[in-house]
Amino acid sequence: MAAHEEFFDISKPSVRRSMTLLAGGALIGLGLAGYGLFTAKGTRSHAVPPEAVALVNQRQILRSDFMTQTQTQFVLPFAQTSREQRRTVLEDMINEELMVQRGLEIDLPSYDPDVRNALVAGVELEVTADVLAQQPTPEELRAYYEHHKDKYSTEGVMQLRDLLVKSDASPPGAAAHAAALAAAAALRRGQTLDAVIKKFNLVDSGRFMDAGHADTGDIFQFALRAKLDDALYQATLPLHDGEVSDPVEETDGVHLIAMIKHRFPVAQTFEEASSQVWTDVKKEAQVKVRSANLAYLRSRADIITAPEFAQ
Amino acid sequence: MTRRRLAGLALVLLGIFAIVAWTHRRHVAGELLRTEPDQILKSPALLREAMRIGRPQYQGHCQSCHGAALEGDPARGVPNLAGNVWLYGNDPVDVERTILYGIRSGHPKSRNIADMPALVRTGQIAPDDARDAVEYLQSLAGRPYDKPAALRGRSIYFGKGNCYDCHANDAKGVTDYGTPALSGPTWIYGGDRESLYQSIVNGRHGMCPAWVDVLTPVQIRALALYLVATSALPRVSIVRH
Repeated sequence: MAAHEEFFDISKPSVRRSMTLLAGGALIGLGLAGYGLFTAKGTRSHAVPPEAVALVNQRQILRSDFMTQTQTQFVLPFAQTSREQRRTVLEDMINEELMVQRGLEIDLPSYDPDVRNALVAGVELEVTADVLAQQPTPEELRAYYEHHKDKYSTEGVMQLRDLLVKSDASPPGAAAHAAALAAAAALRRGQTLDAVIKKFNLVDSGRFMDAGHADTGDIFQFALRAKLDDALYQATLPLHDGEVSDPVEETDGVHLIAMIKHRFPVAQTFEEASSQVWTDVKKEAQVKVRSANLAYLRSRADIITAPEFAQ
Repeated sequence: MTRRRLAGLALVLLGIFAIVAWTHRRHVAGELLRTEPDQILKSPALLREAMRIGRPQYQGHCQSCHGAALEGDPARGVPNLAGNVWLYGNDPVDVERTILYGIRSGHPKSRNIADMPALVRTGQIAPDDARDAVEYLQSLAGRPYDKPAALRGRSIYFGKGNCYDCHANDAKGVTDYGTPALSGPTWIYGGDRESLYQSIVNGRHGMCPAWVDVLTPVQIRALALYLVATSALPRVSIVRH
């Protein structure tokens, strides 16, 4: 039997055929491995791939990004831009890529607060992009409003005097209490504020002052909340025009609130509050997505805290 | 024996053919990416290749929303791509960018400069103002309209509605922002009174996914060229402001 006949006769073993097939298989394997090696991501290349206009330390500057940048920079369709203009844009993009790579090389995000803030903002924007683009339905808005109705009212505004019977003792003595009670009674009887202040030696507490004088201008309710302790704040809220609070004891003495004018908060209808409801719904959705993202990041992170902060 | 030789020869020829075809395709892909999109539109051979690669991409990824004939769907706010009315410009470079990064897709490079605000729901204008603005738009579109309402609508357009700021003084839209023309004849969400009213009341936030991580660069380029070439009307110049 001729050698070539023996090679093709698969009913009989042939060393030559075995070696040939082995060599063929090895060559195919090498070819596939070589292709994978030279086309895989991260492979060093000296040729610019067709989808890129440049490689900067093996990072591509995409042709489409380059064309868009050129159009934007020169406000012209890409086809109408000159070679010079394109070259300028390309150089700028290469420079930018170099700077970004340098920033990563020196680990800028680890210590530069601006870069860190930009990264945080960028990630948050990416995470909340869907929420920002979503349209809450009228039903969702209405449901949110009904559930948070107490949030939607006009801000209360008042004009008042926070008067104080000073006391060096802490807690203030009985004399201070008696003076405050008498002053409140006098005001309720209709005596003028100035007369009562003078008669009972009251002073302004100093919490509502404007250029050294008592500020009797408009004060928003939220501002009042920031300036008064809780007991005094609660005593102030129900007062109507011309009313006086009961004495409230604090460390510096006994306080009396004389309400000059009080515009109470007015509940807003859904229609009146719709703009704010819209904003709040969006904000709440963003907060939820942000929290979920942080929970996910924490779940896969290895965070070790100092013993004194361990939960 | 001769048959076996022939079979071997056929196999070898098939292999050579496959290699040549693969090399050719890579070469064509390179050509499509390296050649300027405008030049490809003028080159029948390259355009044919672009259409060959782009058509199945359209059918596989875009057709479910934009329709088999690129006709769009006003009920869902899917733009008609066959009318050569392009929100972000009809230059193939602009179309390619939209395909790459999408519109409000969540990709940092997506087109996301402006949204149509819900002018009534946010309290910027009243429902009656919106009705008047609709009449003004009807007048721009050359349709029957209520004249006094359209006059009031005009002052809404240029006043508290602030519509002119995005849609331009002539209501022809601005491709830089992706804002549509409000003078017809093409309407993304429908040009009838009720559709326009709903757009003003509730706002619009159309989106298109980013395909940058799904399709290859050559598929995206080919798809952009396929879309531009398939659009029925002659190309118009880009409007930039």
